[in-house]
Amino acid sequence: MSAFKRVQQWATFARTWHVFDCKWQDPYDSAQVIKKYLMGLHKPIYHPTNDCGDVVVCINSRDIALRGDEWRKRAYFHHTGYPGGASWTLAWELHNKDPTMIIRKAIYRSMKGNLQRRHTMERLFIFPGEDVPQDIMQNVTNQIRQLRLVPTRLDHIPEEEVQKYPKVMDYPQDYVLK
Amino acid sequence: MSVSKINMAALVRSSFGLFKNSILNTAIRSLSTSKPLNIKEIREHKEGTKLVVEAVSLPSPRKDLLVRADNIDLPSSNCEHESSVKEPCYMCALGLDVKHTDVLILSQFVRSDGCMLPRRITGLCRRQQKKIGKMVSMAQKAGLMINLTPAWCKKDPKKRKDYKKFNTYFDEKTIFWKRIPDQNDKWKR
Repeated sequence: MSAFKRVQQWATFARTWHVFDCKWQDPYDSAQVIKKYLMGLHKPIYHPTNDCGDVVVCINSRDIALRGDEWRKRAYFHHTGYPGGASWTLAWELHNKDPTMIIRKAIYRSMKGNLQRRHTMERLFIFPGEDVPQDIMQNVTNQIRQLRLVPTRLDHIPEEEVQKYPKVMDYPQDYVLK
Repeated sequence: MSVSKINMAALVRSSFGLFKNSILNTAIRSLSTSKPLNIKEIREHKEGTKLVVEAVSLPSPRKDLLVRADNIDLPSSNCEHESSVKEPCYMCALGLDVKHTDVLILSQFVRSDGCMLPRRITGLCRRQQKKIGKMVSMAQKAGLMINLTPAWCKKDPKKRKDYKKFNTYFDEKTIFWKRIPDQNDKWKR
């Protein structure tokens, strides 16, 4: 085996560490992407019995965005096992308690419920903010592309640029400027 | 005999309507008792003891930056209720795919307090007015135009209450939906 082939062999079976920025991302849409990296579905050598899944580090999970009124409409169900032990927690209540829980549950539910799922989830790290421990961040070699564009707030755009931007609407002749 | 009577009555009614319009409707009225209206700015200043309030005619501040479909080459208009008689409004003619995150465009349609301007000022067609108005409220809810809000408003979206403090995005497809389906309905039988 040549030196090149040997390194190629290492590179093929090494675990790659990916980082994913959750800022303004829909957790349920991004779960479909993240699960592919976690399970190793993006690799040509993928096989269900082949342990080829990668590690994904999700950052800024506090800044995820849900669609429309889902923050107050989506409920998370839990049952303690005792009679009357059912509870429904709304998405915004759950996000108040633990800002990593919604994205974790979204990824967990996007995968098939087999024995491998718990072990695949062990390879997922979620951080509510941007500060990640150094021993995790030093392994990261790839960034997963975000699905949605992070919107820019109007007050963050310089005033000059807002003034110079091409205008679509013009005031009628009898409009009183305010 | 009866047919001619009805015709006569209709003629009288229509002529009366025309007469009424010519007096009451200022938009159609060709005679005016004051100077033709322009874009105005109301200024107040004091001259000695008396307060002078005057409306000063100004050129439109958006005149030079204005984009219209006549000036640029477009393949065809994207107006959805296009008829051969009526020409499309300027937004239909431009055929832009405006999203609720395009705050630089949406902020042109609002007052300084973030309210959507009415249709007689924007000059849009009904459908576009509804679409732009909904997208303005989407941008406000998502906290993207917080400098265009009333003074008493909580400016920072992070300081809002409960579910309002978290990031929300919207789907523009839902603007013209009659009823937005509930998430819980898919479990119902």
